[in-house]
Amino acid sequence: MRRSLRSVRGPPSAPPVESLAPLGWFDAAWYNPIMITFKNVTKEYPPKTHALAGVSFRIEAGEFVSITGQSGSGKSTVAKLIFAEEKPTSGHIHIGDWDISNIRHSDIPILRRQIGVVFQDFKLLPKKTAFENVAFALEVAGESSKRIRDVVPHVLKIVGLGEKGGRYPRQLSGGEQQRVSIARALVHRPKIIVADEPTGNLDAITAREIIELFTRINDFGTTIVLVTHDRDIVNGLHRRVITLREGKVASDAEKGKYLLA
Amino acid sequence: MRSFFRIIRFALQSMMRNFWLSFVTVSVFVLTLITINSVIILNVLANASVKSVEGRVQVTVYFTSDSSEDTVKSVQGYLLGLSQVKEVSYVTAEEALANFKLNHQNDPVILAALDEVDGNPLGQALKIRAYNASDFPFILEALETPEYKPFIKEKNYDNYESALKVLSDFSEKVRLGFLILALFFGFIAILIVFNTIRVAIYVHREEIGIMKLVGANDWFVRGPFLLESIFYALIATAIMAAIIASTLSFANPYIVAFFQGVDVDLVAYYTTNAAPLFGAQFGILAFLGLGTTAFAMRRYLRV
Ligand SMILES: Nc1ncnc2c1ncn2[C@@H]1O[C@H](COP(=O)(O)OP(=O)(O)O)[C@@H](O)[C@H]1O
Ligand SMILES: [Mg+2]
Repeated sequence: MRRSLRSVRGPPSAPPVESLAPLGWFDAAWYNPIMITFKNVTKEYPPKTHALAGVSFRIEAGEFVSITGQSGSGKSTVAKLIFAEEKPTSGHIHIGDWDISNIRHSDIPILRRQIGVVFQDFKLLPKKTAFENVAFALEVAGESSKRIRDVVPHVLKIVGLGEKGGRYPRQLSGGEQQRVSIARALVHRPKIIVADEPTGNLDAITAREIIELFTRINDFGTTIVLVTHDRDIVNGLHRRVITLREGKVASDAEKGKYLLA
Repeated sequence: MRSFFRIIRFALQSMMRNFWLSFVTVSVFVLTLITINSVIILNVLANASVKSVEGRVQVTVYFTSDSSEDTVKSVQGYLLGLSQVKEVSYVTAEEALANFKLNHQNDPVILAALDEVDGNPLGQALKIRAYNASDFPFILEALETPEYKPFIKEKNYDNYESALKVLSDFSEKVRLGFLILALFFGFIAILIVFNTIRVAIYVHREEIGIMKLVGANDWFVRGPFLLESIFYALIATAIMAAIIASTLSFANPYIVAFFQGVDVDLVAYYTTNAAPLFGAQFGILAFLGLGTTAFAMRRYLRV
């Protein structure tokens, strides 16, 4: 049976956001304002790396949260735990009301079709065009071909690549490739987008454009978790900042700043 | 259903866009089939040769020069009465001499020696063919009766006996040899196919990781690879059939000419057995490809 976040939610408690144009489960976002919950999460990588040690936080639907910290502080681990590339050693992680701490292998694809992921190295399929890369995320979810033909060009337009859908990744600049990967993350209208150092391979101007794109996506209501150690970006956002230090939450501040060390 | 067609499309797309990888894989598959078919062809030829040599084996019984033609004819009748005997031909003394001279025409010493002798040193003879070469010992034994024995000067019984033994040993060994050869090539083919597919999947491991990250379930990831290996098997079998058809139509006259008198018609063999032969070859490749793909994905990709 197909499991979706909606099936584990309570009744609506807030009105729909106008521009969402929900795709099935998407309108579930406002049923429960808490989107991501980390409860006392620890993560050990064998043999004895303690990547996270007792991390707790909650992220509400529609928030734009930056997760910062020095290299090795556990930021990527938090991201991986959210889309179940790793499982916590102890503690609990909820996406909406879905406890994914011990998610079954066969449920992982279902979770991932509801979370968009963006990476520093773009992770595009090299033998597929920009259009096909974006379409792929819908194809694996069993979306109809007609819907794919309608939605993909639209999303490519949103990220500013209306003309370049036919190009292969190697025919695109770094910034353009990242836009394709954001389009892919966006195309199934996920409640959450997790971006791990999405600007790490981009120059400052391109990086700012990408971050702007994320804020626009956030304006549509999508929860954004942005992992970055770029101080200018964090300080320019004026949004909530969770700072990690040695696998612990060192600070968690609304309209936060990048903390030094 | 929708997913199934998508998986087919992804498989075909991936084959085209990874042209060189596909090319190498199909080539390896074709090479595998070439070895298999070489073994098949050699086996067919060897069997035909052994049969034909067996069929050609004959024993010549020479009679003393004073035996009458009647005696010889009565021996011929006696032999024809045996169920193992296929054919007995009568050779006159003159024909025997002529044949002998013909067989030794490049041997001046023997010809000179023959001239020294007065008259015809050779007597009449009977040439015996059997249905089965292995029946000759029995047939020759039957000539050891007191009635005929005095008239018989010589039977090239001894020579033929060893020839027969060599021959039947040979056919046994040929079969064993081909079995070993086939196993050996089969083993090498499996290794090569295994390795080619393993490399192909290794090359794709990053893509597979990406597919999983955007929510592809295991079948969406596995499906195209498994299908690809079936398509490769199909293409390779088709190419092999084309190779066999074109090579044989060109070479068959020469092969037939080379094996004069032997009943080898590889074209006929392949046409009558096309379905099982190529079906089995496709089956072997597909099975190998699927097995290897499944194994490599489990081992290297954890999908
Ligand atoms: N797969 C892994 N195996 C072992 N150790 C790991 C693995 N991934 C990360 N680590 C370790 O966990 C710690 C946190 O890593 P990470 O979450 O990637 O930090 P960040 O993204 O903040 O740089 C580091 O010490 C890192 O070496
Ligand atoms: Mg990191």
